[in-house]
Amino acid sequence: MSFITAYCQISEVTCSVNGNVVVQKNEQSVDTWFKQLYKELALEYPKFYKMDMLAQAGFLGSEFIKKGYPDLIPSYSDDEIALLFANSESSADTDIRFRDSYQDRKSPSPSLFVYTLPNIVLGELAIRNKFYGENMFAVFPKFAPDFFLQYGNIMLASGAKAVLAGWLGILEGRVEVSVFLIEENNGDGLPFNKENIIQCAGWGDQA
Amino acid sequence: MESLKEDLKKHIIEQLNLEDLQVSDIDDDAPLFSADGVGLDSIDALELIVLMEKFYGIQVTNPDEGKEAFLTINTMADYIEKKRI
Amino acid sequence: MAVRITGLGIISAIGLTVAENLFSLENSRSGIAPVKYLDSKKDFLVGEVKRSNAELADHLGIKSLPISRTSLLGLAAAREAWGTNRHTKELRTGIISATSVGGMDTTEQFYEDYLDKNNPDYTVLKCHDSGNTTERIAAELGISGYINTLSTACSSGANAIMLGARLIEQGKLDRVLVGGTDALTNFTINGFRSLMIYDDQWCRPFDESRTGLNLGEGAAFLLLESDKSVRFSGNSTICCLSGWANAADAYHQTASSPEGTGATMAIQNAIEVSGLSALDISYVNAHGTGTKNNDLSESTAMINVFGDNIPDFSSTKPFTGHTLAAAGAIEAVFSVLAIQKGLIFPNLNYKTPIAETGLEPITELQKDQPVLAVLSNSFGFGGNNSSLVFSVYR
Repeated sequence: MSFITAYCQISEVTCSVNGNVVVQKNEQSVDTWFKQLYKELALEYPKFYKMDMLAQAGFLGSEFIKKGYPDLIPSYSDDEIALLFANSESSADTDIRFRDSYQDRKSPSPSLFVYTLPNIVLGELAIRNKFYGENMFAVFPKFAPDFFLQYGNIMLASGAKAVLAGWLGILEGRVEVSVFLIEENNGDGLPFNKENIIQCAGWGDQA
Repeated sequence: MESLKEDLKKHIIEQLNLEDLQVSDIDDDAPLFSADGVGLDSIDALELIVLMEKFYGIQVTNPDEGKEAFLTINTMADYIEKKRI
Repeated sequence: MAVRITGLGIISAIGLTVAENLFSLENSRSGIAPVKYLDSKKDFLVGEVKRSNAELADHLGIKSLPISRTSLLGLAAAREAWGTNRHTKELRTGIISATSVGGMDTTEQFYEDYLDKNNPDYTVLKCHDSGNTTERIAAELGISGYINTLSTACSSGANAIMLGARLIEQGKLDRVLVGGTDALTNFTINGFRSLMIYDDQWCRPFDESRTGLNLGEGAAFLLLESDKSVRFSGNSTICCLSGWANAADAYHQTASSPEGTGATMAIQNAIEVSGLSALDISYVNAHGTGTKNNDLSESTAMINVFGDNIPDFSSTKPFTGHTLAAAGAIEAVFSVLAIQKGLIFPNLNYKTPIAETGLEPITELQKDQPVLAVLSNSFGFGGNNSSLVFSVYR
């Protein structure tokens, strides 16, 4: 049996972990919302600043989960945690910036191009956590809880002991992010099913 | 030469998104690509090549040539002075 | 458990159909040439499909515009793979496609018109997103069950095939069209040039002097069927997909680790899933893009897995170019043809082995070979490494 043992939701103004708000956006600050969240985590990871918003969203969601669950990474070997992410915008937010760099400014930026694929966030999470397991990114017209249920179960049936999953809805200022952890254990957490996936998403029934 | 180095540092910080660094944090002879120095990576190296063209009109066509020139702020400034004539 | 492959479809720089692609492979006819159809500023070497959008739309009988080139290519290949199969309520049917470009080829054009205030056609924007390209293909083919789009960079096509196989194995679908499609765009050409891994000359995979890749475009689909589906359709099985695996590299956003860690794991796990041993692999269709980084990393992975018994291997990218999300699917079709026709395809444009590894690919077409199992690799940005194993149907 598998369970959702932790989840993090990030909107344009709040960040919650396991249903409780942990950070509220400070409108007075000169820092961007994501920079505020990064500072809240008090990490030493300057690579964060080079990431695009999609990769930052996945990073922040997973780091907030790790913060509340410090034993997470050490309890598994390096290929036992699989990564499963999706959205409906693909990498459009960065695609637009990259296109501006070569079309308007006539100077294609390599550091932007690197992020014009939605699955780079998986690479960033793998690098950060030294994950060598399976990883998948899919693009859907709208939030797809069935996909997480089905593919998550396939991953757990074929060697993964845990799945770090998430929906990363990022486009031109819109932030609809939910990252959740699925583990095979003896009953702690929400049963891994469609209703609970929707509940962890937190923005109502979009299924 | 001094204002060239200062400008270089400003451009690098901005282009490479080195958010928490100030110009005063970067020593002229700190190794740019070493983890003990500024800790830039291979994508940053490519952005430096773009920076060379954008701000100094210098085209680096061979990435290996860039490796030599981009060791520190000092070597970059020397490289720019040489090529800019 | 192996999954049956009963249909193939492909469109690439070396042909508009399976038969044309096979002919080019057998006759060492590369499709790499200076860019012609894409409105590009310079004469880059690319693997273009030799038809304009108008010609493709006409040939496919497309009535409803707009439609992106990515969809056109995908539809051509998907139709060929679907062939004369019929829809039926008895079978749960799906389509899984992969793309990295989506409809960006048309939105690029739209953007220029928009900036020049040249009567931009806003309806074109509907084609932009990746999901739309698959849905368009599904609609044209009348598939309304399971529709999915994956995007894992250069390994996308392989992952689409892998997902389809797993859904059949888990009894979620009876048959599924799996593959990928990507059209050439200025976006991707500019991007690879900014990373300085685009070769101004014809690419040279596994050669010591290699300096980068040539981009290509195209699409390919395979029809996977379960035993139940084949009893209904009566289709004969061309060969089987028997192994698959996916592993992270955890090294860099766009480079592979020199030790080839992720690649090694993907290859090893795929062979393990197939139930075969490393010695059973007759041929490896490598990812072999021609970049300094991939070819070294992939060579190292092959040595890690095969030791002194490296099977015959080649990259077919000097024929087609690197077709990004379509690559895993296009090369899957080539792998199936290798088994079906007993061929091993050459690695064109190769002269000198990589100094660090000394591995030498096959450089001439090998005919009448007992090709019993083929390993196909696709390694993507983001450290997404995928490998597939195809084997004869017994």
